[in-house]
Amino acid sequence: QCPKKWKKMFCTLCNSKNHSRERCPSIWRVYVVKEDTQKQSLPMHALYCYNCGSKGHFGDDCPKRRSSRVPNEDGSSFSGDNLSQPLK
Amino acid sequence: TLNSDYPWILNHDHSRQKEIADWLTMEIKDFVGYISPNKNEIETRNRTISKIRQAIKQLWPDADLNVFGSYATDLYLPGSDIDCVVISKNSDKENRNSLYSLASHLKKKKLASRVEVIAKARVPIIKFVEPESQIHIDVSFERTNGIEAARLIREWLDDTPGLRELVLIVKQFLHSRRLNNVHTGGLGGFSIICLVFAFLHLHPRIITNEVDPMDNLGVLLIDFFELYGKNFAYDDVSISVSDGKPTYIPKSDWKDLNTRGTFTLAIQDPGDPSNNISRGSFNLRDIKKSFAGAFYLLTNRCFELDMATFKDRLGKSILGDVIKYRGKAR
Repeated sequence: QCPKKWKKMFCTLCNSKNHSRERCPSIWRVYVVKEDTQKQSLPMHALYCYNCGSKGHFGDDCPKRRSSRVPNEDGSSFSGDNLSQPLK
Repeated sequence: TLNSDYPWILNHDHSRQKEIADWLTMEIKDFVGYISPNKNEIETRNRTISKIRQAIKQLWPDADLNVFGSYATDLYLPGSDIDCVVISKNSDKENRNSLYSLASHLKKKKLASRVEVIAKARVPIIKFVEPESQIHIDVSFERTNGIEAARLIREWLDDTPGLRELVLIVKQFLHSRRLNNVHTGGLGGFSIICLVFAFLHLHPRIITNEVDPMDNLGVLLIDFFELYGKNFAYDDVSISVSDGKPTYIPKSDWKDLNTRGTFTLAIQDPGDPSNNISRGSFNLRDIKKSFAGAFYLLTNRCFELDMATFKDRLGKSILGDVIKYRGKAR
């Protein structure tokens, strides 16, 4: 039996159950955003998926089976969630 | 002495930055500044090349010497060699005789020491060291594709902020892991550039024009290692860099590709759509593993420093153990 099995993990920064607060990706995944928010838009034709290669969605949001055998529990930067609020 | 392992952080302390990602961005810029050649080094390189060019024109009046590779694109690390190609009006120099006659001509002129003639390779070359500057030089013959590629890369560098900085860090990283040599299955310089170029042009925050890459090099470096170390579907997806617009192509849509459904990196050659630039990088398993390792090293370091006191952070490096720079002090 793994002794850690019953220890509940919970992140108070982002409410995830996959990591503790000390190891929250939001500690390093911080972007300096441009001041000029006028020109920001989501060009659907420029979105490509790292998982299936097709257009229109990011790799994290791909409906197909994941190809890489390395797990992606916390989500990556290539996700619709990784955009500032108005663009989501 | 203090911090001799990470010379680029001397007098560049960012330990009081509020965001760790900003600290990393600044350290990347410090490292790039540290390894970039100074005026003297640039002049020495230019003088060396023009001496060799003159000697070649003396031997063959119809020939000229062109530089390509990392030297022509300003993407070289200290001590890396200069790639040159002899181009002649008659395009008749790609034979064994010219190889040997140039080698002995340069030796006689005292412009070449430690000369090696590699005549049997797919691309025959002469390797030598120019004695005065101690610069390592490779000369090949009558091949223009390298010059074309260098021109293309210079265009990419002009309209892709952050490309130069990230390429230099990834290059240094792969160099420290001995994974940057195509002869041993590693990633070649052009493949590294294509990976970073595609990454930057497909990144969610960049396509939406939310961020300036130069202000976000730190988080982008981690995002790069995360994409190619953990998530990218090497079995099913290939990369295209045609017309300055990087895209992904499902491997099943690339007709001439014979590595569909296998774990191999495929990057379409902008000059020849049937050619896979990275077909020589057969050690993709270790390359992917090393990228994932860089992701864990960097993020662990960020977590560690985020919890540390300012006193404990003083004089620390985030990049140091990832890129393992062991060059001479500059």
